Amino acid sequence: MSALFFILFAGLAVGCAISMVAQRNPLYGAISLIGVFISLACLYVTLAAPFIAAVQVIVYAGAIMVLVVFVIMLLNVEHEERQPMRLRALLPIAVGLAAILFAEAAFVIFFVQAPATTTRGADLSTGGACCLSDVGLTSSIGAGLFTTYLLPFEITSILLLMAVVGAMTLARSGGLLPARAGVIPGEQVLSKEMLDRSDAGNLTAVETQTTDEAARLLGVNQRRSDEQE
Amino acid sequence: MDDLLHVVWVLIGILVAFTVVMTMVAYTVLAERRVLGFIQGRLGPNRVGPGGFLQPLADLLKFIFKEDIVPDKSTRFVYFLAPVIATTAALMTIVVYPFGPEIHLPIINKTIPLVITRFDVALLYVLGVTSVGVYGIALAGWSSNNKYSLMGGLRSSAQMISYELALGLALIGVILQSGTLDLYSIVEQQAGHLGISGWNLLWAQPIGFVIYLIAAIAETNRVPFDLPEAETELVAGFHTEYSAMKFALFFLAEYVNMFTVSMLATTLFLGGWNGPFVHQLPLLGVFYFFGKVILFLFLYIWLRGTLPRFRFDQLMSFGWKFLVPVAIINIVLTATLQWSGAFDWLINLLHLKTATGWWG
Repeated sequence: MSALFFILFAGLAVGCAISMVAQRNPLYGAISLIGVFISLACLYVTLAAPFIAAVQVIVYAGAIMVLVVFVIMLLNVEHEERQPMRLRALLPIAVGLAAILFAEAAFVIFFVQAPATTTRGADLSTGGACCLSDVGLTSSIGAGLFTTYLLPFEITSILLLMAVVGAMTLARSGGLLPARAGVIPGEQVLSKEMLDRSDAGNLTAVETQTTDEAARLLGVNQRRSDEQE
Repeated sequence: MDDLLHVVWVLIGILVAFTVVMTMVAYTVLAERRVLGFIQGRLGPNRVGPGGFLQPLADLLKFIFKEDIVPDKSTRFVYFLAPVIATTAALMTIVVYPFGPEIHLPIINKTIPLVITRFDVALLYVLGVTSVGVYGIALAGWSSNNKYSLMGGLRSSAQMISYELALGLALIGVILQSGTLDLYSIVEQQAGHLGISGWNLLWAQPIGFVIYLIAAIAETNRVPFDLPEAETELVAGFHTEYSAMKFALFFLAEYVNMFTVSMLATTLFLGGWNGPFVHQLPLLGVFYFFGKVILFLFLYIWLRGTLPRFRFDQLMSFGWKFLVPVAIINIVLTATLQWSGAFDWLINLLHLKTATGWWG
């Protein structure tokens, strides 16, 4: 039974992975990747790790890929521009990595012995196993996180918190100047990027007449109106 | 052999639950139209069958025989995939809800719990599957190649992602309290005097319940949070370009989502199938369960007939600046009370969870 499920979901995962690499349309690639994640989650369930499976679906399929799909949808990139010659130099490295991967798989198949115990069913109604490991279960993961691995867990939390704060800061900053910077009408020296996005990197002088105009060019007016509200 | 028998039992369970849920969903649509009619001082559909009783059947026939129009410039594959994802994700959560306690089947002499599968992480499973449902709407909006659809899809995805956070945080209170993610155990823990006094809503998670309810309504894109299909602004939102059965699938997904969200609320906060005399007559539990679910569905309809729609920025700031902080406060509060033993003290003081005596 479990072999049947393994073949089904492993096949699905491999198929979706191939499709992800082969698709020219980025959105199809993203959908294929979602398929890979969900098949992997199903594999985790058959390996008696339901918590990991649920987290896999919630975090990867439900959160990260939604962002990817969002970006693809908003940028509206229908078809990837063909640039076949660009990554030619990476070809030998790719072949080498693939060889290592296959060697690893072969090593596992031929030299690693299967453990004596069988896998425990994830389903409570069929389970009732007394002496098998409970590694994948929620309680054991929780106990591990809050006792043995407390420090790494907290460090990871702080890292995530910093990422959240960083994202907020980046998203909220309206321009290069702080919101309270005084803006004087007159001659402004601006990077040309502010005026014309396609031509970045050059500095140019621009004459402005009013404070509002100068503020707009410097990208601070958005935050001013925010503060006035 | 035993394995195979188990699979057969599960399949039978899925079939029964699917039929029951689909029938109830169909009649929810009818009930919505009739109740809305009543609220707005008109009759609603009452021509097909006695009192409009066969209206869902007529609607289904209409959907099947309508012309199915596919927009010329749509992304074909994704356009077909989107309603399938939406419906599948909506229906998949049904398998973990406990519809009733263990009942004894008389003819084949077998005692079975009325739940399709008990899962160590049932609650996480529900959240995960729900989060996949976002794709249905987002992809539908994008693949239709229509600005209204895209706007509706984007709004809807943003709304669902935002409110999913508040929803999940509201549930953490219940998880802290019960110490398990298995829905069947959570229901069993809520037994009390007459099967009522142990409900999480009443004495442990009132704040969590309110947050969950609001977030759940937003999660299912219903009034007053129905911005994704605000017809005054977006024609019909993400399903503008969908017709016939594909539109029906989205419609179905929305109502099944309403149903499953109500089932989750019932399971976590209203004691699931617990109620007076369930221990004497287990089959009564099924009626209690669906009765509570219908209560929530009525609330949905009532709200639709009563409240105006939010503005989008109001929606977002309400979700992020009010619901999420309150949910976090609720978690801290629950954790503190749980850790200090206040909950246990309260239980012992009021004998809330000791199901003894003739009423038990």
